[in-house]
Parts: sequence; structure tokens; C-alpha cells
Amino acid sequence: MLRRRQIGKAGWGWSLFAGVISLIYFFPVLWIILTAFKTRADTLATPPKLFFTPTLDNFVSVFSRTMVGGQEAIDTGFGLFFFNSIFIAGTSVLLALIIGTLAAYGFSRYPLRGNDTYLFIILTTRMLPPIVVIIPIFLMFRITGLSGTYFGIILLYTAFNLPFSIWMIKSFFDELNREVEDAARMDGSSERRVFFRISLPQVTAGLAATAVFALILTWNEFLFALLLTGTETRTVPVAMGRTIGGEIGVDYGLLGAIVSLFLIPVFVVTFALQNQLLRGVTFGTIRK
Amino acid sequence: MQFVKSTCLAIAAGAATLALSAGALPKVVSAEEIVIRMAAPDWPPTRFMQEEANRSYKAPSGNDVRLELDFIPWGNFYERVAASLTSGEQKYQMIVTDSQWLGSFIEGGYYMKLNKFIDADPELQALMEDLHPALVAAYSTYPHKSENYYGFPQMPDTMVTWYRKDLFCNDAERAAFKETFGGTLPCSYEDWENVDWKAWENIGNHFRRAKGDKLGDGVADDDFYGVAYQASKTYDFSTMQINAFFWQWGGGIWDETKEPEGKAIGVVNSDANVAGFERYLDLLKLAPPAYKTGQMGIFEIQDLFMQGKVGAIIDWVGLGEPVLDPKTSQVSDKVAFGVTPGKRGSDGKIERWANIGGQPFVLTTWNSDTVNQEALDIVKWWLSEDTQIKFAKNGGQSGLKSVMAMDEYKTFRPWNQAHVAMLPWQRDVWHIPEFFELLTQQQEEFDKAITGQKSAREALDAVATFQDDILREAERIE
Amino acid sequence: MSHPTEPQGFVGWLLSPERRGALLVAPAIFVLFVMNIFPLMWSFGLSFFNYRANRLTVPSFRGLYYYERVLTDPVVWERFQTTAIIVGSSVLLQLIVGFLLALLFERAFPGRRILLMLVLTPMMLSFVAVGVFFKLFYEPTFGLLSQFVSVFTGEPYAILATPTSALIGIVVADAWMWSPFVMLLVLAGLVSVPKYLYEAAEIDRASWWRRFRTITFPYIKSLLLLAVLFRTIETFKLFDIVYLITEGGPGSSTETIAVYVYRLAFQFFRTSQASALAYILLFVVIVLTNLYLYGVQRRSQEL
Repeated sequence: MLRRRQIGKAGWGWSLFAGVISLIYFFPVLWIILTAFKTRADTLATPPKLFFTPTLDNFVSVFSRTMVGGQEAIDTGFGLFFFNSIFIAGTSVLLALIIGTLAAYGFSRYPLRGNDTYLFIILTTRMLPPIVVIIPIFLMFRITGLSGTYFGIILLYTAFNLPFSIWMIKSFFDELNREVEDAARMDGSSERRVFFRISLPQVTAGLAATAVFALILTWNEFLFALLLTGTETRTVPVAMGRTIGGEIGVDYGLLGAIVSLFLIPVFVVTFALQNQLLRGVTFGTIRK
Repeated sequence: MQFVKSTCLAIAAGAATLALSAGALPKVVSAEEIVIRMAAPDWPPTRFMQEEANRSYKAPSGNDVRLELDFIPWGNFYERVAASLTSGEQKYQMIVTDSQWLGSFIEGGYYMKLNKFIDADPELQALMEDLHPALVAAYSTYPHKSENYYGFPQMPDTMVTWYRKDLFCNDAERAAFKETFGGTLPCSYEDWENVDWKAWENIGNHFRRAKGDKLGDGVADDDFYGVAYQASKTYDFSTMQINAFFWQWGGGIWDETKEPEGKAIGVVNSDANVAGFERYLDLLKLAPPAYKTGQMGIFEIQDLFMQGKVGAIIDWVGLGEPVLDPKTSQVSDKVAFGVTPGKRGSDGKIERWANIGGQPFVLTTWNSDTVNQEALDIVKWWLSEDTQIKFAKNGGQSGLKSVMAMDEYKTFRPWNQAHVAMLPWQRDVWHIPEFFELLTQQQEEFDKAITGQKSAREALDAVATFQDDILREAERIE
Repeated sequence: MSHPTEPQGFVGWLLSPERRGALLVAPAIFVLFVMNIFPLMWSFGLSFFNYRANRLTVPSFRGLYYYERVLTDPVVWERFQTTAIIVGSSVLLQLIVGFLLALLFERAFPGRRILLMLVLTPMMLSFVAVGVFFKLFYEPTFGLLSQFVSVFTGEPYAILATPTSALIGIVVADAWMWSPFVMLLVLAGLVSVPKYLYEAAEIDRASWWRRFRTITFPYIKSLLLLAVLFRTIETFKLFDIVYLITEGGPGSSTETIAVYVYRLAFQFFRTSQASALAYILLFVVIVLTNLYLYGVQRRSQEL
């Protein structure tokens, strides 16, 4: 008898092991979330407090806050910022995925002359520190009237996500088994049919992974959001900036509360896409 | 190229249409309705200005004028303003600005010189007369101390001593202090007027306790330290405190008013400066361990103080409000304020030279005459006695001598008496466009000395050489 | 569905197979051109003039003056070295941690879905949150790290006090945040390895290393390559975490090239010099990535 290990399956022992490691890795995030429920005294307590009386004050101040002593609380506009973040990130990720998939398919299946050069140039647009291009972009936005509009920031974020999306989706297309596509063509399927029915379904894992990464990057983008959004289109990361360096250094509780709330949408989306992510690049039996 | 051009136009047109549909075109300014938009850091003094304007501002011209502050997080305020100004966005009619930025944005053509308005308006002249001269010099003049005026105080700020009266007035502590160091532990405001750096050192040594040691009437629940002041690479933090030591030791910084004869080498690394800087580094060792990282800024010492880890700190009055708030501070009922320590001269008098903080607000250069007039009316409203008193009662500071001279001014906030006493001692760091370069390199060198990578003299030599290079290149030193 | 009638005229010309590739990539190129190429060209142009945003003087042409100035600036070389150290150690750490985490999650086990989510959260945080809270964790009086160390030593610990330990602090924060990225890519490759290959290897009693080299590695190779490429490019631009945790200190020991570019452009208003430095930086990254891609191709041909 061969000693055969069950491959790809593990039991509760492994769960325990993975659980311990994951919790250690997750601990700083857990601490941030706990901070959201702490008073300032508890946050800065020595020794640190793992158990404390939770307060919801920080979450209340996310939405409305008294700015000056003795005056009544005013709306911080967080609801709008939150909506803006979802709308702007959602739209631009979707756009980047659609445009990026088309381009990736093109680069992969119909190489142009100098294909690699194009791909490389696309990548170089991500290489410069954003601070260098901020002034010309600012200028461009002012001239075109895009400053402070949804359209402007969405277009910018789409461009911001494209290089990464194209490269990633292309690498998934490249891994596909071409012979299946060719066979379908021989059977008389149109190009459109080959793309939608054969190639695309096989890279859903890649699309999911790309979507998650693009979403995370866009979701947390700060510099462009600070400079190119107006009061109406401002996103949550800019609101996070408010918790630093006012009259009290960092308002840890408030920042923790904003971070915790802000984590929920990306967390949910990633969780929903998890099956796709874990399915991996499972396709045809013969690899190229 | 023609193709590219037309494409660009098409894009621009398309974009403009979309912008329209998104409803984001700038508001049309008519004669009756004027919006004065002011870039402002997001904190209580500016929030108060907005709230008070909403409540009580009525333009004397009869126009429908609204003051609209664009609140930007402090941490990114500089970037936002710099990007807006240098890209020609022309979004703001007024701007709250650090005094150091004056040179940069005046020479860039963004902040407006106000002399002709002041000359034509007796009310403004009276205002300028009533402003404290230290504030006019730091907040309004460029070149520094010239007769060209640009700004008005939005929030004047100085550093004062914050101390724990429960500990400093504790009988047992006072007796123990007297026994070891021979002086009195400063308890009242008047006591602090007599505190020099030697006394500060004694206080630091006296209150250094380990966890579990007796402290006041109780026991220290954590390591406790006597004194702390800022030592941080962030922005201008270390410089603000170290400049005070330079000036008190009879040294100084490169003097922009003596351009082009004023020197950096021999001034910045003079023996007096080195001695002052060494004293600063020496006293820093009494502070909590955060100083070792070169990251103990104005907020870190504020937190250390509010969480009861340190007995006395030197910090801005602008950060004083949270310390009185039991929600943020553990010592809200135990705090009192005094003037900062200084160096005792041979005549026995204490010199307290210090670097001014706070912010002026300015007008921008692209406004129409009407907007300028309305903006200046807002200035007059803000600096009116009425508004200034309300502001001071809500934790702000007035720059007007007449308001500060009122008896009840001292009682508005617990630090006001110390603030008023410190005002005549204020000087300011440079205002020239190169200030950020000078500041960054200096902060870096100070940081090396603070974290023990260099001696005080080595650091100051490096600073002097660098400043000499930069200022020669800028033709400010011959 | 088969052989639809070919459209005629312009549309037909446009949709013909030889233009299909160009047509597919056109929208992407268009968006990138509008949003990236214009600003890039603009600052490229600026690098040849002596433009300073806080001066009214009309910019004049200076040729390669600023490139020369940047290349002879000793500060630039110092910052490059710091950046290289951070990029090298952080990407390496991300690879190791990411790979180990991927191995952890390769198999199916009870609770895998939720535990995987926990490990993914660090990269969902914004830089502001990571920077601010790591600074708090590192703070000698209130920080968790110091509190933890002092249990053993009895002394508060200031990790940001010395150049080397401050660098380690920065690298740990950055690698912690981005190792999940590497993990996810590696995991996508790992789970796609057909199981029968492993079973066959088991029968052959192949060693772990051999199994990894001949079966696993080919499946994760291209994804690993992407991970290294992207992380290197992104870490090269590392700014927020450094600025928030140490602001380049103590002294200048953690100041990256991105922080220096920021200072030149925004604080010193040496606009042209900043552009020149940025293009030199771009050149360096391009050369490095090309060397890297070339090296990877060579190796894959050998294998």
C-alpha cells in the first residue's frame, strides 16, 4: 500500500493552526476596530486594554460632531462622502474592467506590431510618483472644467486602474488553452461567441482578482481625491484626513470608526468574490 | 498635430458637457450675491469663524455676501493650498496661511498687497494700529518688517507652559523639592514668572518617577516625567522650540531683514547658538522616551500631558482646549498655565524669546474690486471688538491690543494671561520663498542631533553651510 | 449564428480582422493617453526649463541643466540607497510571507473562507490608517510594541530611535499591508494546479523540492512574476507610510526618493528639478523592470 496523503483536504487541526496564524496577522486590524469603540483614555491606556467598556460615541461623531465648544452638533457630510466613495470606486472599477478586458484580449489574441512595447508603455504610466503629475492634471482638470466633478475623478481612477488590470487580465488570457478557441472557430462560432462563451468564462477568477485589487486601490486613494474633488464629490479618505492634526493630533477613536465602517463594503465585495478567487485558473486540460 | 489638437478640443467639449450635467459649474457671481470662498485648515478657530459668520455677518454694502470656508484637513492643508495657487485654479478669494508661506505665495503673485486699501480706509488704519506689533510684523509684512502689508490675524498663537497644579501645589512635593533643590516648586502664575531653565531642569529631575513610586498624594501608575517640550522632525516642530533657545542665548537665525549683508555662517553656528542648542538637547533628556525617536511633536506632548505622564510641557495655546475637556483629557481639572521658562541674564531678569505660531488670513490677487471691498469688510467684521470677544470666549485669541487690555480678557480662557504676557517676546522664523528648503534641511539636522547621530555643533555647522549655499544661490547673501 | 454577413464600407473596414487588435485596445489607449500621457509630457517639458511655481519670472530654457544637477546631487544618491533597501527588503518579505500564507490556505479546511478574509484585510486599509496606527503601535509610551518589549526588559522600547530599527519598522508596516496581495496571486496559481499531477508525483516519491519545481512553480510562475513586478513598482513610490510614521527620520535615514520628489516639487518649488528627478527615476524603474523581465524570460527558456 502506498502511503497516500489526502491532497487538498485538511482537517480541524489545520484549521486551528491557520486560525492562530490568521489571528496574529489580523491583530493590528482588530486593534484598530477595537479602538473605534474606545474612549481616548482607553486607547492610550498603559498597559493596553483588550477589555473595556465599549462606547458608540466615535460612531456618532462620524456622522455629526460639535465643532466648537457649546454649539450644537452639525452634520459632517459623511453619508455623502460614503456614497461618493462607493459610486466613484464602483464605476471606475467597472469601467477599468470592461476596457481592460477588451484591451487584454486584444493584446493577447491579436498582437499588434510592437505589442510588448505598448504593454510596457502602459505599465510605465504607473511608475512615476503621482506627486509629479499632480500639477499638470490639476491644470488639465481646471481647463476642462472636470475639477470637482464625478466624471473627472472617475475617468482619472479608470486610467489609474487600467495598466494593472490589462496586465493582470492578459496574463490570465495567456494561460488559456488556445486550441479550444480554435476548435470553436472551426465549428463556425463567431469571434464574439468565442470571446463571450469560451474565453471570458474561463478567466472569471482573474477578473475577480483584478476587480478586488482595483477596488482596493481606488477605494483608498487619497492624494487625487484631496486635490481634485470638490465639497460635493469628496470621498471618505479625505474625511479620514480630518482626524489628524487638528487641535488634538490624531483622533484615534474617530479614525478607527471611519476605518471600520469604510472596511465593510470592500470586505463584503471581496467575500462575495471569494469563490471566484479560490477557484483559481482552472481551465482546459492541455496547457499551451 | 492637427489631429491631436482637434481630439483634445473634442475631449474638452465632451468633458464640459458632462461637467454641466453633473451640475458642477462655478456659481455665477452677480452684483447682489457674492460668495467669498476662503481656504481654511479644519479646526476650531476656523470652524468658529464660519459659524459666527453664518450667525451674525451682514455685509454693510447691502450686498448678499456669504463667507464660505473650504475646510481642509490640517495635515494636507499646505498641499491643497499650494496646488490650488500654483495651478492657477483661482478658487479662493481669501486664504488662511502660515506666516512662513507669505514669501512663497507673494513672490508667486498669489497674495495681494493691501497698502492702497489701508491707505484709503481710516477704519483699516485704526485696525492696523490696534493690532499687536509682533503680530503685524509676523503676519502681515513682507519683506519681513517692511511697510508692505498682506495679512491679518485669524488665530494668533503662542507657546505657554501647561502644568499640573495638583502636583506643583502639593505640600509634600513642595517640601521635598525645597529640600533637594532649594527653591520653590512653582505653583501660582506668579511663581512661573520666576522659572528659568535651571528651575525647569530641577523640576524635571524632581518629578522623574518610576511606576509605583509615590507621586503627589498617590502613586505613579506608570513612569512619570517632569518636563517635556517639542522635538519632532514634522514640519517646523523642533525649530519652533530651538529658535527660542537661540534667541535667549543671544544667538539667532539668518536675518532676512539684513539681506544681503546678513550672514548664515558664523550666525547660525555661532557659539551662542551652539550653547543654546546644547542646553536644549540637555533638557530634552528629562522628557518621556518619545524624544529619542525625534517624533515628539506638539501633539505627542499634548497627549502625554493629557494622559498624566508628564508634569509640565511647553505647547501652543491653540491646542489648549482639549486639555480642559474631560472626554479627551485625564487632567482636565488639574491643569494650569504659566509663561514659558527663559534664560536668566546677568541682571537677574529672565528673557523669554520665543517663536510665534498661529495664522494670518490674506486676500488673493485675482479678485474684482467689489470682491476685494467685500473681503475687507469681512476683515473688519472679524477684527471688530464684538467678534473678537466672542472668538476669545470660545477658545480663540484676539490680536487687538484694545481687546487684550480688557480686564476680563484674562478670565476668558485659563491660558490667556500667559498668552498676553508672552506676546511681546515673539519673533518669527523666515518668510522668504526659500523658507521650506531652509526649514527641511534644518529639521533634518536638528533631528540628527536629537537622535544622537551628531553633536550640536556638527548639526549647526551643516545647517549654516547649507543655508549659505541656498541663500547665495538665491542672491540673498552677497 | 455562423458566418454573419460582413458589414460593408467604413464599419466593415474598421471591423476587419486585421484591425481587430487595434480596435480592442483603442479605448484603453485613449483613456490612458488623456489621463496620463498629457501630464507626463507636460512635466517632461518642464524639466528642461527653469520653472518655479512660486516665482513670477518667465521660465527660460535650461536644456539638461536640471538633469545634471540631479545626477550630481549627493542627497539623491542617499535617497536612492534608502529606497533600494526598503524596496528590496520589503518586496522580499512580502514574497516570503505571501508565499507561506498561500501555502497555509492552499488546502480546503473548515473555516478557510473566513480566515482568508481576515488575512486579506490589511491591504484593504488606507495608507492613512496603516501609517497612523503603526506610528501609535511604535510609540514608546503608549505603543503596543514598547509595552510588549518592556514586559521582558522593563524598559520602554523606541523602535524609531535608530536608523536601522526605524527602517525595519517601515518595512514591517509596508510588508504587513501588502503580503496578502502576493498571497492572493500565488494562491490563484496554487489552487489551479491539477490534483492528478500531485498524485502522480506522490507515486513517483518525488521530493518536495522537485515536486515544487516541476509541478507547482510552472503554475504560479507568471502570477509570481506579476506580483514581484507590481509590488516593486508600487514600493518604489512608497510615500504615505514613511511620511506618516517617521517623516523620513531619524535624521534622513528613512527618507525615500518619493518623499524627496515631494519635497522638491511641493515644498521647495523646484518644479523643474523635481520633474527631472522623476524622469530619472522613471528611467531607472524602466531599466530595472526590463532587466527583470528579460531575466525571467531567459530563465523560463532554460527551464
